[in-house]
Amino acid sequence: MIEFDRVSRRFADRDALRNLSLTIPTGEMAFLTGHSGAGKSTLLRLLLLLDRPTGGEIRIQGDRTSQIRGRAVAPYRRRFGIVFQEHQLLFDRTVYDNVALPLEIAGFSPRDTARRVRAALDKVGLLARERAYPASLSGGEQQRVGIARAVVARPEFLVADEPTGNLDPRLSLEIMSLFEAFNQVGVTVLVATHDMSLISRFRHQAITLESGHLAEAGVPL
Amino acid sequence: MSRAEPGVSDNWGQWSAWRAQHRVAMISSWRRVVARPGSTWLTWLVLAISLALPSSMLLTLDSVRQVTQGLGGAPQVSVLLHIEADSSAALALQRRVDAWPGVAEAALVDREQALAEFTENSGFKDLVDTLAYNPLPYTLLVKPAEGSDVTMVRQLSVQLEAEALAARVIVDAQWMERLEQLLRLGLRWIEGLGGAMILGAVLVVANTLRLSIDACREEIIVVRLIGGSDAFARRPFLYAGLWYGLGGGVVAAVLVWGFGLWLSGPLNALLLLYDRPAQLLWLNPQYLVALLFGAATMGWLASWWVTKRFLSRLDSA
Repeated sequence: MIEFDRVSRRFADRDALRNLSLTIPTGEMAFLTGHSGAGKSTLLRLLLLLDRPTGGEIRIQGDRTSQIRGRAVAPYRRRFGIVFQEHQLLFDRTVYDNVALPLEIAGFSPRDTARRVRAALDKVGLLARERAYPASLSGGEQQRVGIARAVVARPEFLVADEPTGNLDPRLSLEIMSLFEAFNQVGVTVLVATHDMSLISRFRHQAITLESGHLAEAGVPL
Repeated sequence: MSRAEPGVSDNWGQWSAWRAQHRVAMISSWRRVVARPGSTWLTWLVLAISLALPSSMLLTLDSVRQVTQGLGGAPQVSVLLHIEADSSAALALQRRVDAWPGVAEAALVDREQALAEFTENSGFKDLVDTLAYNPLPYTLLVKPAEGSDVTMVRQLSVQLEAEALAARVIVDAQWMERLEQLLRLGLRWIEGLGGAMILGAVLVVANTLRLSIDACREEIIVVRLIGGSDAFARRPFLYAGLWYGLGGGVVAAVLVWGFGLWLSGPLNALLLLYDRPAQLLWLNPQYLVALLFGAATMGWLASWWVTKRFLSRLDSA
């Protein structure tokens, strides 16, 4: 369970988040939406401990994240699979090596790594491209490599920041369906997106932010 | 470099995981280092020159020290006894001093014999004949033990001065002391200059690494974002620093070897003048190991410093 308990993040000139409280139960899928500057990125940064709140508390499975510091941050982040809008792939490594990176970090054996990487690539439909370099892939394929990397270590949470930002509607729907498939096997999924039409096609909780406030939370009708 | 991250599976232990991570970091960093031969060779050369100069100077100094050691043996200490000392007392002192641990040999010069020799050699026979008594005292010639240095000889002379029979102790050690001081000055000079050059070399490696880290900025950010520890993110760069340092050390050893070859001509000519066997100015194994180890450590430290700064800057950004 991800809990935000009256979380604020104040910058010198503005409040990015103000007294935000919300809950995403374990095994759920939720969308995080709002205009740009509404606080979506700040919320994700706080969740991944890239930034710290100036007020309130964030709890993950009941653990207070304010207590997680220093060397404990890296193991904490390994509980998340993260998908970025810009994919953030390493262009001097093959698709296989990109996907294998989280396993390399976690210290998996080569045999186990190969098995898991191929399973993840198969899931996103890129098994045939494992020897390719990211530069030779299309935008949609690159994003699917990013997703394979996010799920390969079987994280508890999958967090995506505008994962369909640069994709056409058909590919966007495909990517969202992938997230839903991971959610169906028990992963808690949080997807930040401003694409309301896409959200309306899925029946999941949508959290709408407006100038750092919670404007609306619920399943779109 | 820290242990492997937890989260290992099957019977692949932490130790295997740690080794695998190091192997990957080692190989990938080596590939990166050799992928830019131009800048890598430049770094190696700058490092090598900075290391080779003080090393060669140190080696030369070492050779000079070897040559001068035992040159003409240790100095002799002459002890003039009191004029009243008789032959039995002088003989007793000679026997006692001869047994001291710091003494190789103590010889007694008989006063009558000394006078006879003086008379014969000086040509002052008439003058000597007018003397009512023999003005020369018994003299003890003390040879310090083999390998005695200046301080040991000084100690010996102090010990001799404390003897009741001794009137005056003369040490012929000044030239030795001067040389010792000169060598000491040389060593200081090398230490100072060498230290500055090595610092310069560290800065060169640090700068090269800083550029390569800047080029890999995105990679480090991504690695940390997906849960790589700082140790994991740093590891390839620490190895790169090691490669730069070790490569520089190898090139430095070659330079020192060439320099020694170049110097051996005049050096051997000099040695010949002192009746010493010819030798080659050469890095002995200890020097070689120290040079390579020192160079590798330098590269590693430079890299440690740069990556530490880079990561803390990322954190504060």
